[in-house]
Amino acid sequence: MSRAHSAPPEPTDVRPFHVPEVLALETGDGLRIRAATGSRVPLASVVLAIDSGESGLPVERSGHAALTAAALQGGTKARSGAELAEALEGLGASLSVTGAWDATRVSLRVLADRLAEALDLFTEVVRSPSFPTEEVERVRNQRLAGIEQELAQPSSLADRSAARFFYRDGCAYARPRGGVRESVESFDPEAARQQFADRFGPEIGIAVAGDVDPGEFRDMIGARFGGWGSGRERTPAPAVEPRARERRVYVVSRPGAVQSEIRIGHPGVERSNPDYFPLRVFNATLGGTFTSRLNLNLREEHGFTYGVRSRFSFRRGRGPFVISTAVETAVTAAAVRETMKELEGLVADGPTADEVESVRDYMAGVFPIQMETTNQVAGQLASLLVYDLPDDYLASYRDYIRSVTPEAAAEAGRAHVHPEQVSIVVVGDADSVVPELEALGVGPVQVEEPA
Amino acid sequence: MLELSCERHTLANGLRVNLASDRAVPVVGVNLWYGVGSRNEPEGLTGFAHLFEHMMFQGSENVPKNQHFELVERAGGSLNATTWFDRTNYFETVPAHYLELALWLESDRMGWMLPAMTQEKLDNQRDVVKNEKRWRYDNQPYGDWDERLQKLLYPPTHPYHHTVIGSMDDIDAATLADVKRFFETFYVPNNAVLTVCGDFEPARALALIERHFGEIPSGDEIPELPGEPDIALRVGASVYEEVEADVPLPRVYVGSRIPTFTDDDFQIAEVAGEVLASGRASRLYRSLVREQRVAKDIVGYVFPLGTGASMMVSWATGYPGVAPETLQRALLDELDGLTSVKPTETARAVARSETRLFGQLEQVGDRADLLSMYTHYFDDPLRLVGEVERLRSVTTEDVERFAADVLSPDNRVVLTYVPREAA
Repeated sequence: MSRAHSAPPEPTDVRPFHVPEVLALETGDGLRIRAATGSRVPLASVVLAIDSGESGLPVERSGHAALTAAALQGGTKARSGAELAEALEGLGASLSVTGAWDATRVSLRVLADRLAEALDLFTEVVRSPSFPTEEVERVRNQRLAGIEQELAQPSSLADRSAARFFYRDGCAYARPRGGVRESVESFDPEAARQQFADRFGPEIGIAVAGDVDPGEFRDMIGARFGGWGSGRERTPAPAVEPRARERRVYVVSRPGAVQSEIRIGHPGVERSNPDYFPLRVFNATLGGTFTSRLNLNLREEHGFTYGVRSRFSFRRGRGPFVISTAVETAVTAAAVRETMKELEGLVADGPTADEVESVRDYMAGVFPIQMETTNQVAGQLASLLVYDLPDDYLASYRDYIRSVTPEAAAEAGRAHVHPEQVSIVVVGDADSVVPELEALGVGPVQVEEPA
Repeated sequence: MLELSCERHTLANGLRVNLASDRAVPVVGVNLWYGVGSRNEPEGLTGFAHLFEHMMFQGSENVPKNQHFELVERAGGSLNATTWFDRTNYFETVPAHYLELALWLESDRMGWMLPAMTQEKLDNQRDVVKNEKRWRYDNQPYGDWDERLQKLLYPPTHPYHHTVIGSMDDIDAATLADVKRFFETFYVPNNAVLTVCGDFEPARALALIERHFGEIPSGDEIPELPGEPDIALRVGASVYEEVEADVPLPRVYVGSRIPTFTDDDFQIAEVAGEVLASGRASRLYRSLVREQRVAKDIVGYVFPLGTGASMMVSWATGYPGVAPETLQRALLDELDGLTSVKPTETARAVARSETRLFGQLEQVGDRADLLSMYTHYFDDPLRLVGEVERLRSVTTEDVERFAADVLSPDNRVVLTYVPREAA
């Protein structure tokens, strides 16, 4: 039986999406607030961004921002870490503190009618942590054990290795975000207190989304963060350099591996780059959607992989551009060949007008779906503050996307993606993959130990 | 506190339909639960339900290969599918004006999938799935834990004895004839729940559903599960297995059989699981991570499964140099200690569950999935509304009794990974 309705139905009239209105407020002490309120459910999400990012640290202290963030919930002047956890979780609240490259984010999520109580604890954590010795030691030992796990886990080993081989030694982005063994070993309560004293202050600001009145929120924050001043400048973005400008293959040895984890790329561009939108459109056609060139080739045509993705990590400095996939060991060289073919072809000729139209429709269309939760909205608002984006950025986002022309996308790709300069990092069984990778002739092949 | 409305309909062909209109944001979630999962796989076909899920994206009579993804992505939508023990779900969230497209795509593969099937497509997705298995399991430290734990928890005759991903041999052996038989047996309207959630007008949506799904013929009655699904709620002993493997850190898993998702005691299991292993104030975190400092981290899950007995699993990852037996003892001591619980611990568990439940209702896609889930297990989507109250009704004594009766030493399987000494 054939069906009557054999063609895809046409859409009905577009129903307008109203981007949540972003309110810019300040406390009496000048702490910046971005608020977008209204929610389907009685939840509130708060994100405080603090100028304590990993990228501002010298190599010998790498990891200390992330470790200080982790140690922040180890206890306050008023209560132990265990008491703090009981108080927060007793409210059904969750608090997470993450030391990322560009900022430390303190994120709270709680039912809206318990927000004031939860903010008391939030403030205690941010303003008066006590960094007890055994909690700091625990955090340090967790990270040291975590490094052992990253080295044993193929995809995290590949991510670490990509950073190591994309960037020159000593660059912030050449190391894992959580720091290296030596720098982690030197982390102690003194180091935590120093990072806290040097970097914790109101330079960036706080975001809130959900079932909250903005004015009331400002008053709640003003009362809790009074006198939290510093007068410091923001930490400058890190300067980074590529490790090499010629194409090379690095095989990180994992004897007996049944798959090769592959990372191909080089340093990308900073978040403030004016080509941000054309580059995102370019990348979406390369490996940013299911129907991207890479995924249709490597997965749907060849069955080499469960999936392949490409992305730019836009940071305040030049974060990496990286293509990531995992393939059966036997097809490693073939997968590298197909990836390079797609990459070179797209950079040389640019995406087609149809591809650009398709990804523009996709990126503009999914925007409301990416703003459904209070956590998503608060995270976006915090990014406005971290990256100095205008308050109408979210309202204009879809227009920025829709205005990218095929020519602009092609030009951005040519300007910022360099197939002849990529590092090709393969984590896998060296004995099996090296001969074929050498025969492929994409560049000199060297075998490295995991690090 | 939880306000949800949901219209219910059943088409003549047996398709159950939930319509939950919420016009706050112009997006709509379309979600289909098929009542088929790894539990329906006979011997020799493990992993097939999941491989079949992949085949559902390979096109249908009116949808060429890759078009399903392309049409939804072009519409500005997101989509995926997952296979689990008791069911397979397919879902897309699209801008509201593309509702009919999502319904049409789902109906084309429910009604007219087979004409598009080819050996080439099967071989391609077989390779993709084998790479998924390598990536998720075979090339991962501890990657075989669930396979080992399920074998210890369930006898060979039980449908949960094998994993959802299945075995490479069985995936290799799958044929086009299997695809056809599976489709005709399980992918029928009378074995599915369709939920639409978000910005739409219910009368129009129902008309569209009638138009696109109404002509799909009903299938035969769904065959009984293979093997012996009925099973005792106890393993009958403490069963230990030790594995020496290429893992960086020692790790101990403990699993127990627990009542199914449809059992009245399931909420008690959920609260007990929270008290034990969820959050920094949980027993395991406080004791193993913070106080004794033998574990780097702890994790715990209560599985919402419906066949015979479900399972609760928790694990602790030890620091280098911590003796596996020390880690094991610490974990089991906390399970033993759960027979005595403070009221504040129960209250904390309920408060966390409540926040999590609201979080699951924020996105129309998640909300649609929950409504499908409650329809699948209870034939009652709005049972979801009572979830918070059911959790609140769990008492501290309930948790203590549950720990003594169900999480007892005669109902534990303990799987310990010991790092292999470097050669």
